[in-house]
Amino acid sequence: MIEWAAPPRRPLLRQPAALAGLTWLALVILAALLGPSLAPGGPMEADPTRSLLPPGPGGLLGTDLLGRDLLVRLLWGARWTLEMGVLGLATAVGLGLPVGLAAGSLGGRTDAILMRLMDGLLAFPGLLLAMAMVAVLGTGLTPVAVAVGLAAVPPYARVARSVTREVRAQPYVEAARAIGATRLRIALRHILPNAAPSLIAFAATQLGWVLLNGAALNFLGLGVPPGTPEWGAMLAEGRAYLRDAPWVSTFPGLALTLTVLAANLVGDGLQEALGV
Amino acid sequence: MGVGYVGRRLLSAVFVLWLAASLAFFALKLTPGDPAEALLAASGATPEEVAERRAQLGLDDPLWLQYVRYLTDLARGDLGQSWLHGRPVGRMVLEQLGPTVELAVAATGVGMALGIGLGTLAAVRRRTWVDTAATAVAVVGLSTPTYWSGLLAILFFSLHLRWFPATGEGGLRHLVLPAAVLGFALAGSIARLVRARVAEVLGSPFVLAARARGLPGRHVLFVHVLKAAAGPALAVTALQFGFLLGGAVVTETVFARRGLGRLAVEAILWRDLPVVRGVVLVGALAYVGVNLLADLLHAWLDPRLREGAS
Amino acid sequence: MRRVLLLGIIVFLLLAGCAPRPGGRIVYGLTLAPSGIDPHVNASSELGIPLTSVYDTLVYQDPETGEFVPGLAERWEVSDDGTVYTFYLKKGVKFHDGTPFNAEAVRFNLDRITSPDLASQKARFMLGPYERTEVVDEYTVRIVLSEPFAPLLDSLSQVYLAMASPTAVEKWGDEYQLHQVGTGPFVFVEYVPGDHLLLRRNPDYSWGPPVYQHKTAQLDEVEFRFFTDPATRSPALETGEADVMGEIPPQDVARLEASPDFRVEAVALPGASLMMFMNTGRAPLDDIRVRQALLYGTDRAAIVSTIFKDTSPVAYGPLTAVTFGYDPTVQQYYPHDPERAAALLDEAGWVDTDGDGIRDRDGEPLVLDMVLMSWGYMPEIGQLLAAQWADLGVGVESRVVSYPEALEIAGNGGHHLIPFTLSGSDPDILRKFFHSQAFFNWSKVEDAELDGWLEEGARVSDKDQRVELYSQVQHRVMEEALVVPIRDYVNLNGVSERVQGLRFDGRGWFPWLIDVTLAER
Repeated sequence: MIEWAAPPRRPLLRQPAALAGLTWLALVILAALLGPSLAPGGPMEADPTRSLLPPGPGGLLGTDLLGRDLLVRLLWGARWTLEMGVLGLATAVGLGLPVGLAAGSLGGRTDAILMRLMDGLLAFPGLLLAMAMVAVLGTGLTPVAVAVGLAAVPPYARVARSVTREVRAQPYVEAARAIGATRLRIALRHILPNAAPSLIAFAATQLGWVLLNGAALNFLGLGVPPGTPEWGAMLAEGRAYLRDAPWVSTFPGLALTLTVLAANLVGDGLQEALGV
Repeated sequence: MGVGYVGRRLLSAVFVLWLAASLAFFALKLTPGDPAEALLAASGATPEEVAERRAQLGLDDPLWLQYVRYLTDLARGDLGQSWLHGRPVGRMVLEQLGPTVELAVAATGVGMALGIGLGTLAAVRRRTWVDTAATAVAVVGLSTPTYWSGLLAILFFSLHLRWFPATGEGGLRHLVLPAAVLGFALAGSIARLVRARVAEVLGSPFVLAARARGLPGRHVLFVHVLKAAAGPALAVTALQFGFLLGGAVVTETVFARRGLGRLAVEAILWRDLPVVRGVVLVGALAYVGVNLLADLLHAWLDPRLREGAS
Repeated sequence: MRRVLLLGIIVFLLLAGCAPRPGGRIVYGLTLAPSGIDPHVNASSELGIPLTSVYDTLVYQDPETGEFVPGLAERWEVSDDGTVYTFYLKKGVKFHDGTPFNAEAVRFNLDRITSPDLASQKARFMLGPYERTEVVDEYTVRIVLSEPFAPLLDSLSQVYLAMASPTAVEKWGDEYQLHQVGTGPFVFVEYVPGDHLLLRRNPDYSWGPPVYQHKTAQLDEVEFRFFTDPATRSPALETGEADVMGEIPPQDVARLEASPDFRVEAVALPGASLMMFMNTGRAPLDDIRVRQALLYGTDRAAIVSTIFKDTSPVAYGPLTAVTFGYDPTVQQYYPHDPERAAALLDEAGWVDTDGDGIRDRDGEPLVLDMVLMSWGYMPEIGQLLAAQWADLGVGVESRVVSYPEALEIAGNGGHHLIPFTLSGSDPDILRKFFHSQAFFNWSKVEDAELDGWLEEGARVSDKDQRVELYSQVQHRVMEEALVVPIRDYVNLNGVSERVQGLRFDGRGWFPWLIDVTLAER
């Protein structure tokens, strides 16, 4: 049946799904911090004689084409993957949120100009944007993450604006304006907290988007340096052997999916904890 | 919403187009690599011959002159010839437009249906296993790259089951796999957003009032709640449809379909400025058009948002 | 007598059931959506795969002997100074639109190719020091060069210099590539860019070169489709969506060979091998000992077996083994010898003083900048090389860039290492890489003697002389340790067992579709 009433708010730690998500994310962060010491030797130790071994005696999760142990690469890769995701997301939200908020709450000319700017960015090939960014910032994981994050700014700004406009049309915001509150105060005290749930939800979905597009750049022949154990890159590399050695992309793929799922569950939990 | 509104939208459309085209021009100029060299180096041309070609392409002119020529040609509708293919850009872009729109519409349809369905299901059964399951399904779509899910789909549905062709175009059967794969990827973000909004709206006083009036639950759900949730969903969908019209290059590559995405990527990789300009033009127009439609739809659904309402 | 007849009939019926018979259609998988398919304008090898059967060329090259045989030209004469080629053309040859082929048509074609308006990306440059074409009479035409140019006949045997119908070219203008008209065994029916290209048998064809085994095409129709994603090529073959598929990834070869329905036809390509250029102009690679250490430290057999599953031969020099002029004695150079490599690096002053696994000297670590492109398995090769050299104490930082960017970086010498390969049937291809003025001189070599050999090789026509010259070039390249050769390019074609008679020309890329037949089982 339909759950009409908003069930009582639970703090984050009392929600099983969000807790599971938090646990996984903690594991990933732990792997990022401890991985290098747990698996010395490095993710680039290639041994062609042990190429494409299935999980088992050859390696707990198997080896890839160059004979590198997959578990080692996964552990090391946690750091790169987190960096890619967090940096990209930070760029997207850091730039997109203020723009969307301003456009949605200020309206009028500001809104028009800001949104046209966003449209301009959106209507033009993201790959070109990424390439230009890499040209300006150099190659490596950071520029790729920032480039992908930049491509995510306009969608985020647009959604932020949309949500802001709806919240702004609510009676209590009208009331605040009527009593003379400044627009900044309204934006920060009334609009932002009420827009937060939808914004958090969208931000959580953007994490996956960032990771995926970083990996898509690899597929198109640009992106992180070859051999970087970033999970999305590993997924792309292993794709060529999907029929013969499915473990090479399945494990990174699983790790990636679980991380994105965890981020989403935590986002949901936050949304609930902060309340509607 | 009168002529003034349409006039304003037109003006902003032109502004967007100018912005996108300019961004494309400068971004391409920023990326390293010389188009003339890229075209001729492997063919045994001498440096003099390459320099000759550079001049012929107008690449030796001062930057501002190239920019002005780039814009004025665009304004006159003269899209020029591709430096790489040697064919008129307008025709090249039109050829790729059909399959791109086809895939975009199909994928968006799948994405919206799946996304709204999953999102609503998750919201109305909040905190139950249904919620978690629907969320998980949506997230899988969000976190799986299409080049991977696409290949899996081909291996399973084409090679193993022989239900659908693996590649190419030619009708509904060829469209199923790529639209499903792409749509599944889109559904994720729509689902999450819909879930958030529906959950919010379900508990709102407005809905409470509707139910107090004795309206059946289903009716309230479909007529009132979904309408309210439509806003962000439409925004995201319009966004994604706009993206898709720029071409879903990965899906096009995996399923061996034509599309603007592949055209754009090739043009960028070869620094083929005329083609990039053509694709940006189409992309910008499509994007503006789609978003205009979405805004109109949103305003119709939610009168509070109409222009002019305070 | 009747029994013999009966037996004969039975045998005949049995054989007829299994014999290849004319007719039928195949789907041929190409690997790139070609960037423009006008052979006079565009440069991709992909366009040549379908178009070689739509056009004829003045001469053809026998893939077995390397000799040039008559095509549209019955015979030809070369002046003593090597600058004037006179071609006597076949009579009675017609274009697919019915117009006649003659000397005027040849002149039209060459004028088109060399006109600046056409902006040819390849054909024009294959003509070398071309000056003009003269029509002597209706079936005699003369090509005049400003200097002797040995690769001219090789160029004229390629589809880029094929003969198109002047009437069609004038009629269609800048959309000619969608309506191409030649004289070949197949007629160009339609091309939907990015989707497919369709050829149909030319029933009037009767003037094929001696290298063709049939008088006219055996198949009715050939449809070309494009499969840019390597992972989908074998599945498309296996589902029957294609009957022939080019460039099968090496890891799929074993599976296809094991299947009774498919086979893999490997064609070794002449040209330059896939080699890693070492920038001799940038420290520390300006020290020949370091370069030689890298060569001794490379286990090429491991690369070929891991990444290419032994479908390619190992390369020992800058030319592939099947190229005319290849000198087998280059195989003596640089066997895998890690100890010798280490000794060389020690001698050059690179020692690991701080124990971090990377050698250093005067506080500078031995780290090399490797620029890669995303195709040709370069990223994988780069990673394996980096791993092998890491054992030597040499560090590698690699990045993947697009082709125009690679050209720019390498042109400016901003790299230490960059791999590349080009295919071609004439050893003059070496001039593109090792002449001091060449575009792809990515080793930054400036060797006047080497320049001299390369220039002379392009001028002299005597085969033995050319072989001698190019042998010296190959030895010099390896002695000076300019490149790390990795492998010879092998084109792996997946073919359905119902397709018979697939043969490729001397370049290894372009199939002669006239001889392809379908076997019914």
